[in-house]
Amino acid sequence: MADQQRPGKSLDGGVKISRREVLGAGGALLLGGGLAGAFRHRARSERGLKADVFIGRAVSYESDLPGLIQSGLAELGFDRPTVRGRRIVLKPNLVETALESPHINTHPAVVVAAAEVFRRWDAKQVLIAEGQGHRRDSQLVLDESGMGTALAEAGLSFVDLNHDEVKPIANTGGFTSMEKLYLPRALLEADLIVSMPKLKTHHWAGVTCAMKNLFGVMPGIVYGWPKNVLHREGIAQSILDINTTVQPSLAIVDGIVGMEGDGPIMGAAKQVGCLIMGRNLPAVDASATRVMQLNPYGIAYLKHASGLLGPIHEWNITQRGESIASVASKFDILDEPHLRAVATV
Amino acid sequence: MSWTHAFLDRLVRGANPDGSWGYRPHTTGCSEPTALASLALAVHPAAQSSDALTVASRAGLNWLTDLQKHDGSVPVAHGLPSPHWPTAMAVLAWAGCDDADSLTKNEACTAAVRWLLNTRGLAIEHDAHTFGHDTTLQGWPWVADTHSWAEPTAMAIAALKKMGHSDHPRVREGCRLLLDRCLPNGGWNYGNTRVLANTLRPFPATTGIVLAALAGEPETDKTALRSRVDASVAYLTDALKRVRAPLSLAWGLIGLGTWDARPPESHDWLAECAERSRDEPGEVAHDALLLLADARWRPAGKCIGVSADG
Repeated sequence: MADQQRPGKSLDGGVKISRREVLGAGGALLLGGGLAGAFRHRARSERGLKADVFIGRAVSYESDLPGLIQSGLAELGFDRPTVRGRRIVLKPNLVETALESPHINTHPAVVVAAAEVFRRWDAKQVLIAEGQGHRRDSQLVLDESGMGTALAEAGLSFVDLNHDEVKPIANTGGFTSMEKLYLPRALLEADLIVSMPKLKTHHWAGVTCAMKNLFGVMPGIVYGWPKNVLHREGIAQSILDINTTVQPSLAIVDGIVGMEGDGPIMGAAKQVGCLIMGRNLPAVDASATRVMQLNPYGIAYLKHASGLLGPIHEWNITQRGESIASVASKFDILDEPHLRAVATV
Repeated sequence: MSWTHAFLDRLVRGANPDGSWGYRPHTTGCSEPTALASLALAVHPAAQSSDALTVASRAGLNWLTDLQKHDGSVPVAHGLPSPHWPTAMAVLAWAGCDDADSLTKNEACTAAVRWLLNTRGLAIEHDAHTFGHDTTLQGWPWVADTHSWAEPTAMAIAALKKMGHSDHPRVREGCRLLLDRCLPNGGWNYGNTRVLANTLRPFPATTGIVLAALAGEPETDKTALRSRVDASVAYLTDALKRVRAPLSLAWGLIGLGTWDARPPESHDWLAECAERSRDEPGEVAHDALLLLADARWRPAGKCIGVSADG
C-alpha cells in the first residue's frame, strides 16, 4: 500500500509528481530531493511571476488589527470598489481545541478584524467558514476556541464546511488522481475566498500556512475525519490541486502568536507579533516560512508551486510594510529526516 | 412546550418532500441526518403516539432504502458516488425502527450488513516510531482505500452487533482496534493515539460513539477492557460538565448510558444544550441526537458485559 502510486499530472518538461511515500494513518507525503533538479532551472525566473506580500507588526491581539489589516489590504490593491457588493468567505484554521493551547487555531480577534474591514468596504456578505480536519463537532470547536462568542458579538455567521451541501468541480490541478473535487456550496458561492491560517510548523509538511489551510474547505462527509483521502493522494499534491481549483483571492496569516515544534496541534506557542498578507498564496507562504527562519524550498508543495501558482523566490516577491528580518524569529521544528530540508536555511 | 416536543416538531417540519433530511432543514437530503431523524422520531417516547411523526420516520427509512445501492452500501447522498460510511447508520435506523420479525425479512438490512462485512480499512505496515497504534488491525474507513478510523469502525460494530453479529471475526477485530486506539488516560479521538513525539488528545463525541459500540464486550486479559472503559468513562464524565455542543453532549451521554454511567445532571445538560438553538433553524442531526440521548438510545443494545459502575 505504502508504495502504491496514483497517476499525477505532468507539470512541465515531462516531470511527473507522484507519491513517494505515504504514511496513510495520519498521512504524510515525504517528497525527497529527487525532483529538486527538475525545478532548479526555474527557481529564480519562476516564469516571470511576481507578487507583493505585506507584513504588519501587531504585538498582541489587542492591537488595532482592523486598522492594520485595512492598511495592508490597501497596499495590496484592495479598496471599497473591489470589495463592494462581494460575498466574502473568511477561512480560518480551526483544527481542534485544547483549553491550554489556544495557539492551535487562528485567533478570533484576527478573523473579526478582517470581517470588520470587509464590512466597512460594503461587502455584500461576510461568512466565516471551516471544515475541521480532526474534530467533527464544529460547535464545540467554536465554543472552546472562543470563536463562537467572538462571531456572535460581531454578528457574523459561521458555515460548517464539513456538512454543507456539496457539488463536484473539475480538478483543474491534476496533481492527484482525483478527477473532481467535491466542494461546499458556501465556498462556491463566494466572490472572494480569504485563507486565514495560523503561522505553524507541521510535522509532515514542514510548515502549514495559507495553502495548507485550504484542506479545511474539503468536506468531511466526502473526505472523512481525518481527510485521509488527501493524505493518501499526497499532502503536497492535494494542496496544489485544492489551491489550483479553488483559486483563493487573499491570505491573512495570524502570526501574532504562532506554533513551533510539533505542529499543527501539539507544538509550543511562539510569539512573533505580525500579520502576513498577500494576494498570492505561495508568495505569502514563502515569506511566512522565511519569517520562521525556515527554508521554503524544503517544503514540497511550495517548491512545486514555484513558477506555477506563484513566486516563492525572494527576488520575485516585493515585501511591503515591515521587512522579514525585522520580525523573523527562529521556529523549532521536529528533528525528523523528512523535515531536515525545511530546517536547512 | 418542552424542548423535546419542540425538537420533534422541528424535525418533521424540516423534512424534504421526498422524506429525506439534509444536515440543515430543507437542504439536499443526506443519509446521516435522515437515519438519525428517522430513528429519533421512532424511538423517542414523546413521539410514540403521533401518527404524523411515525409517517415522517417511515418516509425517511424508505428514502434510505431507495438510496441504497445494489451492493448494499448507502452513499452520503444522491449524486455522490462515494463514500459509503453512512451504511452503518442506515442499518441502525432500519434495525432500530423495525420489530424483530420484519427485521429478518428486511432485505435492505441484510444487504447492508453483507457490504459492511466485506468492507475494511487499509492495513499499513507498523512503524512504531511514527504511530502509537497497531496499523495492521483492520476496522472500517470513512472512504474506500483509506485507513480505519474510530468513528466509522465504531458505527459499523454497533450496526453489526445490533444485527446479531457480535461474534463475527470482523467485529472481534474491530473491537480490538478500538481498544488499541484508546488513549493512555482514557478516551478516543478520530483514531490516532500518538504521532511521532506526542500523545494526542481525546474528543468527547468520538469517546461516546466508541463506548456505545463496545457495549457487551467481554473482559479479557488481552484487551484490558475494564480499565480502558473506566478511564474513558471518567474522562467523558468530567469533560461533559463543560460541553453544551449538541453533537458531543449527545454522543457522550449515549456512550455513558451504554455503560450505566450517565450523570444525574444529564437531563439538565440536554435541556441547556437544546435551549441554545431553540430559536434557530437547527441542525437536523444535532436535534435528532439530542432526542436520542434523551430517549436513552443504545445503538448496539444494552451492555451485558462489564459495567463501569460495577
